[in-house]
Amino acid sequence: MNKLSVDISEVFVKYRLAREKPKTFQEYFIHRVKGKSIAYEDFWALKGINLQVRKGESVGIIGHNGAGKSTLLKVIAGVMKPTQGNITACGLIAPLIELGAGFDPELTGKENINLNASILGFSRKEIDSKFNAIVEFAELHEFIHCPLKSYSSGMVSRLGFSIATEVNPDILIVDEVLAVGDEMFKRKSKDRILGFKEKGVSILLVSHSMEDVQTLCDNILLLDHGTAKMYGDSETVIDEYLKMNA
Amino acid sequence: MISFLTEIPEILRYKELLRNLVVRDIKVRYKRSVLGIFWVMLHPLLMMIVLNMVFSEIFNVTTKNYSVYVLSGFILWNFFSQSTSSALSSFTSNRSLINKVHLPKSIFPLSVVLSGLIHFVFSLVPLFVIFIISGTPLSAKIFVLPLLIGMVILFSFGVSLIIATLTVFFHDTRYIYDVLLIALMYATPIFYPESIVPQKYALVLHLNPLFYFMDIFRMALYLDGPHLFRSLLYGGLFSVGAFVIGWFFYNLYKERIIYYL
Repeated sequence: MNKLSVDISEVFVKYRLAREKPKTFQEYFIHRVKGKSIAYEDFWALKGINLQVRKGESVGIIGHNGAGKSTLLKVIAGVMKPTQGNITACGLIAPLIELGAGFDPELTGKENINLNASILGFSRKEIDSKFNAIVEFAELHEFIHCPLKSYSSGMVSRLGFSIATEVNPDILIVDEVLAVGDEMFKRKSKDRILGFKEKGVSILLVSHSMEDVQTLCDNILLLDHGTAKMYGDSETVIDEYLKMNA
Repeated sequence: MISFLTEIPEILRYKELLRNLVVRDIKVRYKRSVLGIFWVMLHPLLMMIVLNMVFSEIFNVTTKNYSVYVLSGFILWNFFSQSTSSALSSFTSNRSLINKVHLPKSIFPLSVVLSGLIHFVFSLVPLFVIFIISGTPLSAKIFVLPLLIGMVILFSFGVSLIIATLTVFFHDTRYIYDVLLIALMYATPIFYPESIVPQKYALVLHLNPLFYFMDIFRMALYLDGPHLFRSLLYGGLFSVGAFVIGWFFYNLYKERIIYYL
């Protein structure tokens, strides 16, 4: 179980923030005609992050708003290329997809399952074989042929969680979405995440709930203004984070 | 050079997603209307009736079979204009997905163009009905129709890639494109016959890719003309050119899209 599933070394991500960002052609041309080049300010969202996640390990990422948590997840998910540094991630990466992203409110639950699973790159046959298990876990039996707009928000997030976990990912990315659903489902999804670790699935969890992070994660990365302030076991890092806030 | 091609096999890997996106587009669009998908067929017919009432008196002398002429022009124009103008926002409207999951992003404009194709195929039904009613014999050159469809897909996809990418960086691409579409519509013989275009504007007509597509479409259906080969050649060049330019343009900027969404 010592194989790495995510290996990030010296990752930097730079955003170019234009001081006056031209949003229209007109502004852009006026700028250029006046002979001004656009003034950009570099903003480094990640500054030299190193992180190794083994198979079956779950790592929490915590930090204040704007610390770089979401950017780091984007780099891991392969959505964003780092400005500098290397990232390798092995296997299928499944992010939990929330309402508004891969879901269409006009489509039924079943149609949304098809859409969502194909977003993760699955073929029709694979989707069909997992369909029953997805519905089962999401507890949506009688509603699965209703349009999603008639669902409660808890039902939608149950469906999202069920799809992302039922496809047997190698890396599961959870971005602050465990807070939804009732107590029963919360417990059920936590159990499932804990069960994943035994199957060798790596989990990356971003959360502001210290309780979730503590119960689910082996190690925690504390980000502060784009740098890794601390990396270690849950208790020590959470203590440090709480001290930062005090 | 090689990095410009990596997304092509990726699109093939995500063909199930492509299919689902096309299905979603069609389902969602007609879900709330009583007549549903029949609108695809009814809409061009009603448009034809309107255009017929307005223009048939003027153009009947010069154009034989004006209803067929205007209907064929209208559905082909719709194929191009509707696909591209909805593909324009295909990156921005899928921003939350593009922000979360690694996907070949060009799949979004491609799915819009393909759902435009399905609309087009459906609207061929009323066209053939009008053929039967008006007793117009179908041309023997109908076999070039698939070729024409391929050209319009390539051309629309290329244009879509450019405008969808531009829209991410400049939000007013939408307004500029709307105006350009209107200009292009008037520069295309959709409801007027080519023969009324004065000689001094002939160049404008011949620089317009849609002119060749219209020409091929109508010759494939019913019109006689000596210049089918010329139109196929220019139409083909325009569509391959638009696709190549669009593909390179998109690939040049695709890694930056995420920062602006």
